[in-house]
Formats: sequence, C-alpha cells, structure tokens
Amino acid sequence: MNEESLPLPEFTKVKYRTWQLDQMNPSQAQSATSHFLTDELGIEVSGTATSYYYLPKYLVAQGVLLTNINTAQSRYPQQLDKLLGQVIANNTDRLTAQNAQKFNTGILLYVPDHTVIKDVIHLNLNQLSVGGNDYIARVLVYVGRQSSVTILQSAHTIGSDTTKVSLVVEVIADVGASVHYANLDAFSGKTTAYIHREADIRDHATLDWSNVAFNDGQVVTKLVSHLNGEGAVSHANIMAMTHHKQTQGFMTNMVNRGRHSLGHIYQRGVILNHSTLVFNGIGQIIKGAKGSDAQQESRVLMLSRRARGDANPLLLIDENDVTAGHAASVGRVDENQMYYLMSRGLSEKLARELVIRGFMGNVLAEIPTNRAQQAVINAIAEKLKNEN
Amino acid sequence: MTTLQIKNLHVAVSGKEILKGVNLTVHTGEMHAIMGPNGTGKSTLSQAIMGHPAYQVTSGSITLDGQDLSEMAVDERARAGLFLAMQYPSEIQGVTNAEFMRAAINARRPESDQMSIMTFLKTLDRQREFLSMTSEMAERYLNEGFSGGEKKRNEILQMMMIQPKIAILDEIDSGLDIDALKVVSRGVNHMRSDNFGTLMITHYQRLLDYIVPDFVHVMMGGKIVKTGTADLAKKLELEGYAGLRDELGLDIVLTDEDADRLVAVKHE
Ligand SMILES: Nc1ncnc2c1ncn2[C@@H]1O[C@H](COP(=O)(O)OP(=O)(O)OP(=O)(O)O)[C@@H](O)[C@H]1O
Ligand SMILES: [Mg+2]
Repeated sequence: MNEESLPLPEFTKVKYRTWQLDQMNPSQAQSATSHFLTDELGIEVSGTATSYYYLPKYLVAQGVLLTNINTAQSRYPQQLDKLLGQVIANNTDRLTAQNAQKFNTGILLYVPDHTVIKDVIHLNLNQLSVGGNDYIARVLVYVGRQSSVTILQSAHTIGSDTTKVSLVVEVIADVGASVHYANLDAFSGKTTAYIHREADIRDHATLDWSNVAFNDGQVVTKLVSHLNGEGAVSHANIMAMTHHKQTQGFMTNMVNRGRHSLGHIYQRGVILNHSTLVFNGIGQIIKGAKGSDAQQESRVLMLSRRARGDANPLLLIDENDVTAGHAASVGRVDENQMYYLMSRGLSEKLARELVIRGFMGNVLAEIPTNRAQQAVINAIAEKLKNEN
Repeated sequence: MTTLQIKNLHVAVSGKEILKGVNLTVHTGEMHAIMGPNGTGKSTLSQAIMGHPAYQVTSGSITLDGQDLSEMAVDERARAGLFLAMQYPSEIQGVTNAEFMRAAINARRPESDQMSIMTFLKTLDRQREFLSMTSEMAERYLNEGFSGGEKKRNEILQMMMIQPKIAILDEIDSGLDIDALKVVSRGVNHMRSDNFGTLMITHYQRLLDYIVPDFVHVMMGGKIVKTGTADLAKKLELEGYAGLRDELGLDIVLTDEDADRLVAVKHE
C-alpha cells in the first residue's frame, strides 16, 4: 500500500495541510518516571515505556488484560489481531495509514465477556517531546459482551521540543456492553496533533464519549461512532477551549446502521484571543436503520473579537422512519448569568470563569473522577488568565 | 446606620421610560414593602438599584450612604452591602451552590483573610437547616433544575450567608407553598436587626402577615403614589388598585381594571 497516494482526512473549514501531519518520524524516547498516576487502577506509558502499572489481582483473575501495546504484540497477538485495524481500516486515509505503519507505543485494554468493572480505568499517555521526533501511538480497547467499564484516557506532553503527534484509538463495545470513554487531551503548545478515535458499537451496546480537548497547540480531532448493532447507543459529549493563536478542528461523526440505534452529538467550545475552533458534526443514517435517532447540538462561545468559531452540523439521512435534528450557535457570554453572579459580589473576572465553566457544565459533570474534573476546572482558569 | 436613597429616579429600558420619578429612602433597621400592578416598574426599580446593564438611569440618583451608585459596577454595589433576591434567578451548571456562596463571601474579605472551608460549611449547615433545605441542595449546581420554590429559598439562603446591609426581595413569595412561605419569612425575620434593612416587592398581603413591614409603598405608572403602614396593604387587598387610583385622582390605565367584575360575573 502506498501511503502517499491516500488522501488526507476531511476536516471541513480547517486549514491544516501546512501542518505536515503526514510527515512524522516516531520518537524512541522513553522514561520510567510516572507523572500523573500514583495509586489508581491503570497504566501510564511515557514515551514507549510503561512508567506506572496497577491492575488488581481480581481483575487479572477475570481475564482482564491491560498492557503497553509493545508487550501486547509479543504476548497477546490474538487479542491484538481482534482489534488492530478492525475498527479503522489502515487505508482509510493518509494519516491512519501512517499511524498503522509507524506506531511504536500505546495501550491495549481487553475486557472479557460478563465483566463489570466499577473502578475507573486510567490510561495515561505521555508524549516525551525531546530530540525532535514525533509521537505515534495506538490505543486499542475491547469490551466484551455484557461487560461494563469506565475509562479515563489522558494525554500530555512532557518536554518542550516542537514535535507532532498521531494518536489513533479503536474501541469495540461488543453485544450489550456499556462503555464510558472519557479523554482529556492536553498536548502542549509546541505539539501539532492528529487525534482519531473510532468505535464499533454492537447490538444493544452503549458507548459514551466525554471528549475534553484542552490542547494548547494545533490539533485536528476525529471522533466516530459506528452504531452497527440493533439498539446501539452513543453520546459524543465534547468540550474544547482554544487560546492564543491555536486552531482546534473537530470532525465528529455518528453512523446509524443498526435499527433503533441512537447517536447524539453535543459539543461546547470556548474561543479566546486569536484562536480558531471548528466543530463539524455529521449524523448519518444508513438505509435500513429504521427507528434510529440522530441528534446534534453544537454551541460555541466567542470571548474575543479576533477569535474565529464555526459550528457546522450536517445530517445525511437515507431512511424514512427516523428522528433527527440539529442546533448550532455561535454566541457570547450570557449577560444575565454574569449579572446574577456579580450581584452577589463576585468580580467580573471570577463571574466570567464560572459562566464559562457553566457553559461546558454538562460535559464537565460527566468526567468520571473528581480529580480529573478539578484538573479541567484549573485548566479553564489557567487559559482565562492569558485572555486579553 | 446605612441609608439607601433614591431621588427623582427615571429609568428607561430599550429607550422606553419605565420609572418616572421615584423617591424612596430605606434605612437599615427598616422593613419596606412595595406593591403595585403588573408591569408598573417594581422589578425595574430593583434592577436599577443593583445596576443591571439593560436599565438606564436617565435622571435622578441612587446613593448608598451618600455614595453615587451610578459610578459603581454591579459587583461593587454588592460588596458595598446591597443584595437583590431576583424574581427570576439564573441557572448555572458546573458551579455548585456551595462553591458559589463561598466565592461570594470571600469576595467581601481580603485575600489574606479568606473564610476557610470548614467555617464556611458550618455556617452553611446552620443557615440551610434554618431554611429546612437538604444538604444535597448545597452540592447541586447553582439553581439548575431547582423548582420555583427551591430557587426562592435559595435566594434567601444566599442572603443569610452574605449578610447584606440592605436586601431587595423581588417577589420572594411567588411560587411558594404555604409552609415554604413561613420558612422563608422566618429567614427574613431572622435577619431583622438595626444593621439590616429590606425592600420587599410583593403582590400579596399574605406575605406581610408574616413579615410585618414598617412602610408600605404603592407603585403605579412608574411612580410611588402612596406610602402608608401595614394597613395600606390590607386596604388594597379589599379595594384593588383602581380604587386607590380614583381616590388619588390619577390618570393611569390599569390592564386588569375589570377584574372584580369578571370574578363577579363568573359567580353569577
Ligand atoms: N429587560 C427588559 N426589556 C424590555 N422591556 C422591559 C424589560 N424589563 C422591563 N421591561 C418592561 O418594563 C415594564 C415594567 O416591568 P417590570 O418588570 O419592572 O414590572 P413589575 O412591576 O416588576 O411587574 P410584575 O408585577 O409583573 O413583576 C414592563 O412593561 C416590561 O415589559
Ligand atoms: Mg416584577
């Protein structure tokens, strides 16, 4: 397969060709230092090496696998084959092909059938931005029949080189599975990134995304739910904040193929300074997906006159017996909320911070741990500090 | 003693004059009530005092202890001691009620003397119980999904936490059931002291049975047309606004002028 001959993925209204996301060299950097996890259930991978690991014995006994993807290649080829390239075909576009060919780090999580995991599973990826090379990672998640998990996947940059990231995530929610996949993407201002997550959701399975995009650099993010099964359900809740001169562009896609499937997209974005935020949402109902439902709501707050925001909803419907709808808006801070908070003595600055937090409140509330919620709250305050 | 003084106040909303010369003085230690027909400008007065940006003072003045409020931002007015329990409080998701109240209290204190979480929670628990509110309410998002009555109760809780000098209560009784009305009134009466004054806007004489005012003002056509004692409210309940208008010889059209007759017809 000639990678070069494939097209770049489509991110409507996002000019990203000059970012050269198709020209990456994987970094070999690794570190034994963990930066985020201390006693949580989960794994932290720094560069190509595992720097933190904790999976309780009872889960090991139930057959749960959680490993660095490099270990998986040698020790669990069977589980790997079940996932790798199965949700996202390797030749989908130039960037997925590049990731498939060059990834040299990542995580495999395999949850067998009938396994209910109450604790949040942390998947932490640290890009080690040293030596100028790029970070190319793959995350694979399989959740078996009637199993239930909550995943909190975080991605950070350690180091200050100017580099690129390619992160591709494939998730399978098998029959009757229930998956909450929350991610906190926080790559640095010197990292230009391509992030792509895609899920295969089978009969009566649910997969809910809580996608928090708090990167500081140029980023395109693609998120796709394939509602393949009858009664498959997916909510994609997205919150993003852009500042300085960065651009973050999204392509969020729900594909209803199964009968009575439901796909809802809910996006909230806040744009500061000279930055750009683009939300593209596509609700696609395939012929035969009778009784299915496709909805989307995208709202963008512009806090600066120099900011650029776009919310483009699209419905592609090829079946009559369905329900679908969309709403989109680009607006400014709610004056009545500001007034209410200030009438209690809060400064304009604090009131603004709270109103902005409130604007993204639906997504914030769904973030699975208090610690992660607090991290997002702090990140909001931090970005507002640089506002002008 | 703190004094809120309103002199010949004219206020316009989107270019339309709503208040046409209001005069009113509220001292701490006093309870004032304002009554008046719908759309006559009662909420407009309260918003103008607090400084809502949509309400423009076109002439006249509002001062707090001699200081001109027109030069102060909304948050400065609040920190100077004013409080407005709103007719329609905003909902804000992602911010808990408790966090918001602590921020409001700490906004009044110097950076070096912020109220600790422990002290705050103790105070909050006490006031909350006083108003028969569950601890769950404190952890919920600010007014989000609160019922009409819960919102009103929450406004009073905020008032008790913040301890303002002068509180304007805009229809704090609307939407309250009979028991809730008693609870909320208990909260307001509890605040009653030489260091606290209030201006209550209400449509119902009933509230004034629980919170007995020192003064009752009647507002019509953007002005205060009569001031009296608690008895004035009782008289209004019996005679309606049209009766008072005719007695005063005012030239004001009331939308619901025929209300009494309509009720009478229905009963025939
Ligand atoms: N923000 C606004 N925009 C436009 N018109 C307004 C606004 N606020 C008030 N008004 C108008 O000003 C007039 C007075 O309204 P206000 O809310 O002050 O009445 P009120 O006396 O409080 O009535 P109610 O008893 O119904 O609460 C009304 O005609 C109202 O429509
Ligand atoms: Mg009113």
